[in-house]
Amino acid sequence: MPIRIRLDAMLMQRRMSLVELADRTGVSTANLAVLKSGEARALRFSTLSALCRELGCEPGDLLVYEPGPEAPPLDDV
Amino acid sequence: MRALGPGSVSSFLKFVLDVAYLALLVGLVGVILLAFAALLFSVNPSLLDNVRIEPAGQFPERAPVVIAGLLAAGGYMAGVLVILGALRRIFVTLTAGDPFHPANVGRLRLVGLMLAALELGRYVLWAVSAWLPWVREVEPSFSLTAWFSVLVVFVLAEVFREGARLRREAELTI
Repeated sequence: MPIRIRLDAMLMQRRMSLVELADRTGVSTANLAVLKSGEARALRFSTLSALCRELGCEPGDLLVYEPGPEAPPLDDV
Repeated sequence: MRALGPGSVSSFLKFVLDVAYLALLVGLVGVILLAFAALLFSVNPSLLDNVRIEPAGQFPERAPVVIAGLLAAGGYMAGVLVILGALRRIFVTLTAGDPFHPANVGRLRLVGLMLAALELGRYVLWAVSAWLPWVREVEPSFSLTAWFSVLVVFVLAEVFREGARLRREAELTI
């Protein structure tokens, strides 16, 4: 996926753990881990807003575009 | 009417499926035992001395046909059992509130394939029985309804495939 979320760097800069961020935003640690690993396919405005609020940043600080191959389709059932 | 839980349509359907599955299982065991007994009698006809079968005395000659018939019935029942088993497993996911589980796509395809196989098996049985001298009246019939059911099941499998994809997408939407 060419869109990457710089959650690791943001947490490190603020010396905040994933669990603490989960507590503050109300997003589960499992979902934050999915975001961090780059497996996520979409990000809700409500989640982005909560992350920006708690990390004190702009959406552009969190999201980075890196040219690369698109994620494979999900219908490989 | 409720979709899930006690008194719902799905709980009624689950009950029907369970009863049909168990009845078929018992029937299949019965047919297998009968086929085994027929095989035993055909190998050793002297075992039949104390057993009276109508029409009298015709069993040893017709034993291969009887055995083949019982095996065909057993095969048919096994096919229906596979279909019911797949439907029961689909129902387990439904009652768990996860009907668009990716495994259900494969299960529905299996149901479609089994329905097609059963229909083809019917044609094979018809072709073989038309060949036999004992069978006087054979009425070949092409069931459009059966093939329509196969089509419906495969269409449903595709719908479930899209449902499973959407479910996965929802899982990965944070």
